Amino acid sequence: MANIKATEQPRIGVYICHCGHNIAATIDVAAVAKFAEKLPGVALARDYKYMCSAPGQDLIQSDIEGHKLNRVVVASCSPLLHEHTFRNATEKGGINPFLFQMVNIREHNSWVHTDRAIATEKAKAQVQGAIRRVAGHSALETKRVPIHPDVLVVGGGIAGIHAAMTLANAGKKVYLVEREPSIGGHMAKFDKTFPTLDCAACILTPKMSSVGSHPNITLWSYSEVAKVDGFVGNYTVQVKRKPRYINEDLCTGCQECISSCVFKEPKFPDEFNERLGKRRPVYIPFAQATPQVVLIDPEVCLNFKRQKGPNGEPVVGDKCKKTCVEACGENKAIDFTQKEEIKEIQVGTVIVATGFKTFDATRVPYFGYGKYPNVYTSLEVERLVNASGPTGGHVVLRDGKEPKTIAIAHCIGSRDENTNRHCSRVCCMYSLKLAHLLKEHTGAEIYNFYIDMRTPGKGFEEFYQSVAAEGVHFVRGKIADVYPEAGGTGKLIVQAEDTLLGRVRKQPVDMVVLAVGLEPQADAQDVRRMFNMSCGSEGFFLERHPKLAPVSTFTDGVFIAGACQSPKDIPDTVAQAGAAAAEAMALIDKGHVEQEPNTAFIIEDECSGCKSCVPLCPYTAITFDEAKKKAVINEALCKGCGTCVASCPSGSIKQNLFEDGEIFAEIEGVLAQV
Amino acid sequence: MSTTATTETPVTFSREIANLLHAAGGNPVSSCMQCGTCSGTCPVGDFMDVRPQRLIRMIDAGMKDQVMATRSFWYCASCYQCTVRCPRGIDIAELMYGLKRFTIWRSKYPEDLIGPTFSETFVKNIVRTGRSYEPVLATSYFFTLGLKEMLQEATGATMLMLKGRLPVLPARIKRLENFKRMIKRIIPIGD
Repeated sequence: MANIKATEQPRIGVYICHCGHNIAATIDVAAVAKFAEKLPGVALARDYKYMCSAPGQDLIQSDIEGHKLNRVVVASCSPLLHEHTFRNATEKGGINPFLFQMVNIREHNSWVHTDRAIATEKAKAQVQGAIRRVAGHSALETKRVPIHPDVLVVGGGIAGIHAAMTLANAGKKVYLVEREPSIGGHMAKFDKTFPTLDCAACILTPKMSSVGSHPNITLWSYSEVAKVDGFVGNYTVQVKRKPRYINEDLCTGCQECISSCVFKEPKFPDEFNERLGKRRPVYIPFAQATPQVVLIDPEVCLNFKRQKGPNGEPVVGDKCKKTCVEACGENKAIDFTQKEEIKEIQVGTVIVATGFKTFDATRVPYFGYGKYPNVYTSLEVERLVNASGPTGGHVVLRDGKEPKTIAIAHCIGSRDENTNRHCSRVCCMYSLKLAHLLKEHTGAEIYNFYIDMRTPGKGFEEFYQSVAAEGVHFVRGKIADVYPEAGGTGKLIVQAEDTLLGRVRKQPVDMVVLAVGLEPQADAQDVRRMFNMSCGSEGFFLERHPKLAPVSTFTDGVFIAGACQSPKDIPDTVAQAGAAAAEAMALIDKGHVEQEPNTAFIIEDECSGCKSCVPLCPYTAITFDEAKKKAVINEALCKGCGTCVASCPSGSIKQNLFEDGEIFAEIEGVLAQV
Repeated sequence: MSTTATTETPVTFSREIANLLHAAGGNPVSSCMQCGTCSGTCPVGDFMDVRPQRLIRMIDAGMKDQVMATRSFWYCASCYQCTVRCPRGIDIAELMYGLKRFTIWRSKYPEDLIGPTFSETFVKNIVRTGRSYEPVLATSYFFTLGLKEMLQEATGATMLMLKGRLPVLPARIKRLENFKRMIKRIIPIGD
């Protein structure tokens, strides 16, 4: 790229923005403009109420023309918000957009200071720094990088399914990667969904099978993203495909192997049923699982179990009669020698929809989960009321009895300084739903112990009213203790202050349901690092802007959807998944991205060929030209981090927009007398 | 009557309580969301006329006289279960101590309570000798008992003394002067 050094004398236009009261209340903007006007190289300086408004931008354009400006400085908010706006205005005025410098006198000044006099002095120093810097700016060109049209969707819950389907229906090729053996996520475990009470399976499973059979979707279940390289438009992703010991292409889903397994009775805890049911070593998570492919658990399968490798890993043995292989017969789908496989794919954009995990109720021992068998989590109860659950939809306790009285404890692991400070947002509504379903199934007396009922969605308050009308009891007070009733009745006492009554309630119940909150996945931090995203204080992935960019992240081309961003219900998740798909499509259909020209370049004459920059580059953008004995930077890969610039012992690497001269001029300007 | 508006804002009761808890850890009482965990979890809640959650509500409502007239905080067993479980991180046990101090300073507590005298005797005893001495401590409540209970207490005490579980003479710690100097730095107390 040509670096055209400006030869003419700088004529700088300086604009100080009021940002309404945001800046003007703390900084004397007129005084800053007056100060700037007298500085060398400044042709004019103005203050204006809203520089980002259309008249504000017009001001820059007409001044460039009318006053023959060749440099522009705007002192306003963060470059994150409006650098683009002002660069555009500069370009429209007829000069190169990089002959512009922005000063942040809002976040860096007016919002964090209270003393008007001192804040004004600081603003002057900041502006002086920018004026001196911009004088040395060169004209630069943005470069265009093409976008790979394929999309990676991480996570096959309802968010991932919806995003993948939206993209695939629009003709985009999608890779959907799911960690579990089947897609469906948490929604597949639910019985009914609030507030309409439509059956979760009825609305989800058709979508799941469409994903499985869609020609534009490559579904990789039982797989995890292992490595991500590249940048927006050009990501190289490695996906680890865990061995399920079944050849997915050959398995027909007949499940003959399951019924013919040497284990006549299912014996091992079933993860899909929250360990309330049992499964065999060869199994399919649930009837409508997608893909309709079984898998073998090497931890319990006799063929593996009886033989271990030197590091304790399961090794194929010959100790089982292998009745499953016999049953599979001509299909020959069972492959005990299957190994972990790494697939490498190229995609342009990524949608992360990794979902949530429920709060581990054993972390708060006084609710008795794990100690008293009749204390359940809400997810376990979802399986109990589900017709395809471990009890076929009969709500029975672990001893086989039907509960007559049930307490539902709200806010377990939510709204609590000791666990999670956030409100998990869905628990009030799913507790109401479970109250309704449990009442329907058992006719039991149901007591909801809540702090605040939060039902702000469409049709939610009406649902609350209808559940209350059914005779479900509501007690305003958080459950403070759960303990067995004296006299060995087998009942549990839930103790809570009824804050409206002003009395302590000691309610004997047969069953306690803990409405556990939603938390980030256990490995959310690893996923965050892999895709170079940010996290909020609770560990949920951070959106680029809470209002205006809710599905974008700080990494271009990586979008988020669903409960990995924050706890949310199914309608909101689906809406967000659709939004993420649309954002990805907007990028793909544009065909290219414009990249900041802040890349590093090598002054070949000065490069000594020491290679110290090569291994330091986090984006592997630097290679070594053996013929010339010089380092070479691939501009398309360079992200402008500056690591090589700082490390070069001979000072022969420079970076556009961050040349030493520019930086020193800015420092001198900031430190000079104002 | 003067109608001139006063420029000084009167200190509200909840402000007074906040000041009282200034040095204590935990969140301000105003962060309470009235979930009732403290009241539900309190082992002596059954004996309290007003349990912690409602007491905090009363403080917030500025019901100073009513709060100071309750006996609740004198029944607090300092088990700290409320503090540990409070979802809003309020140090409720410390609040109970604060209210005890507050009512002692203002000499505003129900006459028949033994708590204030008991606490005072206990602290004085410690400051004087460096150790608690039960026979003296017992006098702070001993005479409020009925004849039967008095006799029971006396018999119990005698048995404990014979077994050597209760000191006959008040014990003193070594280097008591140093301890007293330390105490003086902490509590501005007379000799």
